[in-house]
Amino acid sequence: MERFTVKAIQNMLSEKQISATELFDLYRSRIADYNQSLNAFITTDILPNTAYMTDDQDQESSIDFALTGIPYAAKDIFCTQGIKTTCGSKMLENFIPPYDATVVRRLKTQGAVLLGKTNMDEFAMGSSNETSYFGSVHNPWDIERTPGGSSGGSAAAVAAGLAPIALGTDTGGSIRQPAAFTGITGLKPTYGRCSRYGMVAFASSLDQAGILALSAEDTAIFLESMAGFDPLDSTSVEESVPQYSQYLEENIKGKIIGLPKEFFDGSLGSAYEALIAESIDSYKKLGVVFKEISLPNIGYSVPTYYVVAPAECSSNLARYDGVRFGYRSQNIEDLDQFYRTNRQIGFGQEVKRRIITGTYVLSAGYYDAYYLKAQKVRQLINQDFARAFESVDIILGPTTQTAAFKLGEKIDDPVSMYMNDMYTISANLAGLPAISHPIGFVENLPYGLQLIAPHFKELDLLNLTHQYQKVTDWHQAVPQLLQSSEGND
Amino acid sequence: MTITKSDIEHLCGLSKLNLDDDEVPIYLQQMTDILEMIEQLQSADTNEIIPMAHPLDMHQRLREDIVTEANHRDIYQKNSSHVEEGFYKVPKVIE
Amino acid sequence: MHWETVIGLEIHVQLACDSKIFSSASTAYGQEQNTQASLIDLGYPGVLPVLNQEVVMMAIKFGLAVDAEIADLSIFARKNYFYPDLPKGYQISQYELPIVSGGQLFITLDNGTEKRIGITRAHLEEDAGKSIHDKFPGTSAIDLNRAGTPLLEIVSEPELSSAKEATLYMQKIHQLVRYLKISDGNMQEGSFRCDANVSLKPKDNTELGTRAEIKNINSFRFIENAINYEVERQKEILEQGGSVVQETRLYDSDAGETRSMRTKEEANDYRYFPDPDLLPVKIDKEIIEKIAASLPELFNQKVDRYVKTLSIKRVDATAIAKNIELAEYFEDALNTYNGNPQLLANWLITEVMAILNKDKIEIASLSISAKSVSQLIQRIDDGTISSTIAKNIFSQLIESEMSVDELIKDQGLEQISDTNEIEQVIRTVLNENQEQQDQYLAGKEQVLGFLIGKVMQKTQGKANPKLVNDLMVEILSNH
Repeated sequence: MERFTVKAIQNMLSEKQISATELFDLYRSRIADYNQSLNAFITTDILPNTAYMTDDQDQESSIDFALTGIPYAAKDIFCTQGIKTTCGSKMLENFIPPYDATVVRRLKTQGAVLLGKTNMDEFAMGSSNETSYFGSVHNPWDIERTPGGSSGGSAAAVAAGLAPIALGTDTGGSIRQPAAFTGITGLKPTYGRCSRYGMVAFASSLDQAGILALSAEDTAIFLESMAGFDPLDSTSVEESVPQYSQYLEENIKGKIIGLPKEFFDGSLGSAYEALIAESIDSYKKLGVVFKEISLPNIGYSVPTYYVVAPAECSSNLARYDGVRFGYRSQNIEDLDQFYRTNRQIGFGQEVKRRIITGTYVLSAGYYDAYYLKAQKVRQLINQDFARAFESVDIILGPTTQTAAFKLGEKIDDPVSMYMNDMYTISANLAGLPAISHPIGFVENLPYGLQLIAPHFKELDLLNLTHQYQKVTDWHQAVPQLLQSSEGND
Repeated sequence: MTITKSDIEHLCGLSKLNLDDDEVPIYLQQMTDILEMIEQLQSADTNEIIPMAHPLDMHQRLREDIVTEANHRDIYQKNSSHVEEGFYKVPKVIE
Repeated sequence: MHWETVIGLEIHVQLACDSKIFSSASTAYGQEQNTQASLIDLGYPGVLPVLNQEVVMMAIKFGLAVDAEIADLSIFARKNYFYPDLPKGYQISQYELPIVSGGQLFITLDNGTEKRIGITRAHLEEDAGKSIHDKFPGTSAIDLNRAGTPLLEIVSEPELSSAKEATLYMQKIHQLVRYLKISDGNMQEGSFRCDANVSLKPKDNTELGTRAEIKNINSFRFIENAINYEVERQKEILEQGGSVVQETRLYDSDAGETRSMRTKEEANDYRYFPDPDLLPVKIDKEIIEKIAASLPELFNQKVDRYVKTLSIKRVDATAIAKNIELAEYFEDALNTYNGNPQLLANWLITEVMAILNKDKIEIASLSISAKSVSQLIQRIDDGTISSTIAKNIFSQLIESEMSVDELIKDQGLEQISDTNEIEQVIRTVLNENQEQQDQYLAGKEQVLGFLIGKVMQKTQGKANPKLVNDLMVEILSNH
C-alpha cells in the first residue's frame, strides 16, 4: 500500500489520474480496513465536501484552490460544524459544534476535504494517547506500543497512510512527540501563527495548531493555507504568511545550528545518540555549521510546564458543567452534586489530576510560590533562547528520550509520563516554532530529531527539513502493517 | 510540599470534582509525586525577573463596538437536553 | 461608647455599549431569554474573547472625570468560581493593574460643606447572566442574555461616614456616568447596582472594624434605609460585647432589614490569574489626551456656566443641571430663544417638572418639544400672551399637534394690550362691583386683587395683567 504525499496527490489530481471523489473513497476504505486495529479515528462517517470535487475526469475543474480535493484528518479537538467533536472525552461524547474552527474553515475554503476526526488524549492531556475515553491508539509500527500523544490518532493515521496529512495541536510536544514515535514529520508553529479560535482550549498560552505530515514539503503546503491573523483570536499575530513552499529550496549552506549542551548530556541511550550523530553528519554534508550553546534554565522546563498548563486548564475546563452542552447526569437535585457528578463522570483521571494540580497552584497562599514563580522561570527560559539565537539560526536536539514505549508502561506513573516531554516543552514555553522529522530506527521503531527556530522562522525549519529529506529516506519508510497488506489501491 | 486528604477534598470542592473513596489515596500519592517534581522550581533564581504571561510581547487588539451576532438560540440549545421556553435549566439554586 | 460608621461603596455600572465587552452580541435590555447570547457569551468550547474598544474609551472617560490615573498597561484576570449564571466557570475581570486607579469625588453635605471621597479604583469586567428561581418548579431557569455585558466596577475608599453621605456619593456617581454618557444609570433595569461595605469602629480608633457587605442596592431610597438598619444592627451586637460576622447580606426592602445570604462566600478562593486569552491593554498618552479634550461639560462646570453666562440663579441652575437630560432639554430650548434665560429656567422648574412628576415620566418621554417651550416663553416675553394663558397652551401642547402660534391664532388667545379696550372692561367691572370699589376707595387695598380678577374673568384671562393693574389703580385713583 502506498502512502501518497499531498504533493503527489496534487499532481495526480491535476493530471487527472484520479478524481477527488475516488481519492476520498480510497482513504475511506483504508480507514475502514485499518481503524479497528489502530483506533486512530473517532469519527469517520463524514460526508465529503463535494463542492470542490468533480467526478468527471474530462471536465476542466473550474474551481482550483490551493488544496482542492486534498483529503485530511483533523484531531478531534478542532470544532467542525455539524460534526461531532469529542476532544477524546466522555464529557463531549455527543457534542456537535455549531461552528468551524478558523483553521478548519480556512482549509475548507481552500478545497481540502475532511476525512474524519482523529483520536487523542482526553482534552489534549497526555503523551501516549492512552487517556482517551474512546480507547488507546496503537502505533502502526508496533500495535502494542503507543503512537505518542496527545495527537496520537493524527500521527497514526498519517503514518499508516489512512490520511495523507492531519491537523494536530501541540501544547508541550503533542505534535512533535507522536511524529517522532510514528516516523513522520510534525510541526508546531510559532505561538500566534495559527488561530486558536475553535480549537478547544487546554492551556491557552501554550496551545498551538499544527501539522502532521509525511514530509516538510507537505507541511509547507498546508501551513500556507492555515496560518495567518484571525480577528477572533486576541493572541493571533498580524504577521504576514510567507509562501512556505517557495522557500524549501533555499540554500542552507552556512546556516548555524546550535547544540544545547543540556540536551547532549549523555543521558540518551547510545543507539539514539548514534542516530542523532548520523543526522548531524547529514546536515554537515549539506553545509550546515554546528556550534555548542547553552540553555542553562532548560532543566526547569518540565516543572514550569506542569504548573502553568494545569493552572490554565483547570480554569479552561470549568465551563464543562453539563448545563449548556456536555455530559449531564439525570435526577440530581442539588446543584453542587450536579456539577460534581457531571464532571466526575465526564472527565477521566488525567484530566482530573491536572485540574486538581492547577487548582492547587493557583490557590490562595500558593499562587506566588507556584504560578507566579513558574511564569518567571518561563521568562528565564525565553531569555536563554533569545540569547542563543543571537549566535545561531536554529537549535537542534532530540525530540524524545526513546522510541515509542509500550502501551500501559507509564500510564500509572504520571511523573514518568511527564518527563517524556522534556525536550519538547521548552519550545511551547517560549512560543517558538519547532519541527520533528524522522532520522532512523532503533529496534525497528522510528526515532525523530527536533529543530527549534526563532519566532516566525517556520520557513527555516521547513527548508532545512526538506533538504535533509532530499538526501535521506527515513520519512518514506512504511510500517510493516501496511507492507504486508494485500491488494493494490 | 505535603498534601493531605483534606487538601484534596478542598481542591475538589473548588473545582467541583468528586473522587471515589478508593480513588483518593491514589490521587494523593500521585499529587505528592507531582508536587515534588514541581518543587524543583524553587531553586531557580528569579530575582528581578518579570513573569511572562505571553510568549510574544504584544498588546490587546481592540474591536469596534458593533453588533454582528444574530439570534441562533435554537441551534445553540440543541446541545443541551434541559432547556424549557428558551431557558437553560439547572437544579434549584438556594440562596 | 461612641461608634463611628465606616462605609465603602462598590458600584457596578453597565456601560452603554451596543455590543458586549468580549463578544459582538447585543446588550439591548429586555429581550427574550437567550436570544442575545453568542457562543462566546455561552462559554462554548474553543471560543475566545476580543475586547470592545468603546468599553476602554468609556473607562478612560470616567477615570479622567474623577481625576484618576489611567493605567498605561492594564490586565484582565480570571475570577474562578462556579455558578449557573457564569457560563465559563470564571468571570473575566481585573485584579492587579486595573484600568483606573486613585480618583476622587466631592459630595456637598447638608450644611453646605464639601467632602472629598477617594476612589480606590475602577475596573472593567463582564456581567453574569440571570437566574430565575421561581419560574419552573424544582429548577432554576438561566438566561444568559446579560452574560458578557460590560461593567465598570467603581470602588470607593472607606471614607463615607453615614448613610446620608453614602447616598450623596451614590447619587453623584449616578449623575456623573449619565453626564459622561457611559451609562443610562437605569436602576430598575440593573444598569446601576450598588454594594455597601459597612463597619463600625470606636471613635478615635484607627483600626477598622469587621465589615458586612450589603449587596445589590438598586435605589437611592433603599441605600439609606439599608445602611441605617445595618449600622443599628452592628451597634447592637457590638454594644452587647459580641463581634460582627464578616459576611454578605441582602437588603429586604419589604421588611426593611438586611439578611445574611446562605452562600458561603468566604469559602470561595477565586484563584485570580491573568487571563491568557487576552493581552495587556496598552493605553497611549495620545488616546488619553484625545479623550480628555472631548470630555463633555460636567455638572459643576455646567452650573457655573449657567450662573455666569446665562445669569441664572445658582439654586435654579443646580435644579436643572442635576439631571443631564433636563439640562440638554433646556439648552435645546435656549437655541431658539431670544429672551431672558431665567424665564425659560423658571418654566422648566415649575411647569415642566410638574408634569414629569405628575405623570411619573422622564423628560425623554415628554411629548412637548424643547422648541415649543422656547416659543411659548418667547410669546410671553413679547407680550402676545399672558403667563396664565401660557399655562393653558402648555397643557394643550401635550396632546395637540399644533404649534404654539397655531394654537394662539386658532383659539384667539392673544393678550389684550389695548388700553382703551381694557379701560372699557375695567369700567364695566367697577360698575358691576360698586361695593368693592367703595371698599377700595375707603382704603381696603386688598380688594384690588378681586377687582383685577373680575377683569381677567371677563377677558377670559387674556387681558395683560400688568396693564390691568396699572389702569385699574389709575382709574380708581381718579375717581
